[in-house]
Amino acid sequence: MTSDNNIAPGAPSPGRSEVLSVEHATHQFGSLVAVDDVSITAGRGEFLTLLGESGSGKTTLLRLIAGLERPTKIGGISIEGQDVAALPASRRNCTTVFQHYALFPHMSVGQNIEYGLRVRGISQSERRERAIEALNLVRLPDKYDRRVHQLSGGERQRISLARALVTRPAILLLDEPLGALDEKLRVDMQVELLDLHKKLGITFIYVTHSQEEALTMSDRIILMRSGNIVQEGPPTDLFDRPRNRFVADFMGVENLIEGALEAVSGEHASVRVGEHMLSGMWSGGDVPAAGTKVCVAVRAERVRLSNAAATNGQEDGVNRLPCQSGATIYKGKYVDRTLDCDIGPVKARIWDRDADIADLASLWWRTDECAVTKIEGS
Amino acid sequence: MTTNVYTYRKPAGLRDYLPRLPAGVWSLSGFSLLWFGGIVLPLLAIIVVSFLQGRGLNINFDPTFLQYERFFSYGGGEMLARSVRIAGTVTIVELLLAFPFALWLAKGCKNNTVKLLTFTALTVPFFLSPAARVIVWRSVFGINGAVNQVLLGTGIVDEPVLWLIFSEFAVHFGFIGAFFPTMVWPIFLSVSLIDNDFLEASGDLGASRLRTLLHIILPLALPGIVAGFVFTFIPMLGDAVVASHMGGNNVLMLAAQVQSLIGVSNFLVAAALAAVVLAIMLAFQVLLWFALKPVGGLAGVFASLRR
Repeated sequence: MTSDNNIAPGAPSPGRSEVLSVEHATHQFGSLVAVDDVSITAGRGEFLTLLGESGSGKTTLLRLIAGLERPTKIGGISIEGQDVAALPASRRNCTTVFQHYALFPHMSVGQNIEYGLRVRGISQSERRERAIEALNLVRLPDKYDRRVHQLSGGERQRISLARALVTRPAILLLDEPLGALDEKLRVDMQVELLDLHKKLGITFIYVTHSQEEALTMSDRIILMRSGNIVQEGPPTDLFDRPRNRFVADFMGVENLIEGALEAVSGEHASVRVGEHMLSGMWSGGDVPAAGTKVCVAVRAERVRLSNAAATNGQEDGVNRLPCQSGATIYKGKYVDRTLDCDIGPVKARIWDRDADIADLASLWWRTDECAVTKIEGS
Repeated sequence: MTTNVYTYRKPAGLRDYLPRLPAGVWSLSGFSLLWFGGIVLPLLAIIVVSFLQGRGLNINFDPTFLQYERFFSYGGGEMLARSVRIAGTVTIVELLLAFPFALWLAKGCKNNTVKLLTFTALTVPFFLSPAARVIVWRSVFGINGAVNQVLLGTGIVDEPVLWLIFSEFAVHFGFIGAFFPTMVWPIFLSVSLIDNDFLEASGDLGASRLRTLLHIILPLALPGIVAGFVFTFIPMLGDAVVASHMGGNNVLMLAAQVQSLIGVSNFLVAAALAAVVLAIMLAFQVLLWFALKPVGGLAGVFASLRR
């Protein structure tokens, strides 16, 4: 789900003026390099997600943008064209929604929301007006006089959103904002955040470790690993065309089959795996020499079952492997079947009960529904 | 809706005749009883004794203000004012010194070794007897003390400076050293409890460091500040060591005077004096209560701790 305009998302976002640019940022904690010479940009109104596992440097990068962390080394950082490298957090035109909300416990909900306006010397009456407006925006209109400890987790989340938005920043930074919420609330809040983003047109920079959240919400995803950017692009790119094995694994590709690269012609790559020749969409960037170890990444839901025996000849547009039935795991909405092939187990996800086959002989998937990618590097 | 349920009735026991109160109330009343017997009763006894008269160990049970009259006619009023003034001044100075120090210790100091050494430095003085702690200053500030030696040796003064010891200056100085930890500790604890997220959020929303201090740190540290105030001011009023060792006969204060009166077996005036100290402490508590009205009273101070 991307925003509903006609601008194709991607970096650097065409048609979007640049609102943030970070050049060659490096940040070290002692000897640990948390962010390693990273450069990013964000366009006006873009929903940009920094995705990665814990320790990948995504939160540190966000804190560098906010000004909460001073970079060890930086080429430059500008917000709306203004160089902010030397400015403290208080003088940067961006606000943060903290993971644990950080609502001031000694203030009422209204006072919390008005805080950013109060320190800017805005009059009491205007403060109140704008706070109530912000409360309406997060759909908690009657909580103005509440104390923070009287709120539920989801309500706190929204108040902290309202507090960050009330000063109308150019960029809203969100640090795993849904991490502390339960599953159902998280899904509701995802939709609400998207609505807000659409309504306000503010740039959102969103930190998460959940690939599902990133896919649902972002215009563009930056996937990070140990302080570096591994891949960036629109969600479909990362989902369907992972740059390397790590990206494929992180984006939840269940079957990662290693083999030797045979040839790449046009978009298609063919890979020798044992006695089989598999082919798929080349997504690893620069093409390495033939014989290099590469990885065929295919999602379990793309794998289909058949009672037709595998022939030795290549079928057009299809990879087919002979297989035997293995373990079945019942997951409620679907069934995961592990199938034993001579190249190792392959996982298939069966959503439709009728598609499950008893006298199974082979499995197959379409070559344009699988990616061939590098093992390492980007 | 009526239901025909026959409930089993226990035979009546002691509990059935006592008011039906939750267990908490019973334990609270037990605690209150101990507090009354152990603390309030002796204090009441002091007050009663202060209204008696007698000679030596013979006590006459006729209520009288005689002891109070004696106390006030021998310059007691002046001494009382001096005691409150000195304790009040020192408490405020302590607050001004301790708050930045506690802030640094809790939030500024990232080096754990330095922190540990500071904690040790704050607690070590308590291993010494209070008198030993104070008496050291005599060798520093005395007529032949270190300071005077230096001043005379460098020719800054021709005669020893006398106001360094047995003076109000000396008493203030002695109190500041002795009561610094009691102010630092509670403030340090309450500042430590302030989540760094709050400080970051405040800056992130546009507040300068000064505004963060005023709007976030101070209100959240209020429980510690109030505790530091109480635990510094009140024990200082009750402290007899500093005044007698640093002030001598030049700076008479209430608690030191109570002790010397007991020393000469003048229990009745001592009791009157103790009752006056008690009254001041109570008055201080009432004052504090009113002072905290604008932030919602004592409950308001601690409300910020609810998360």
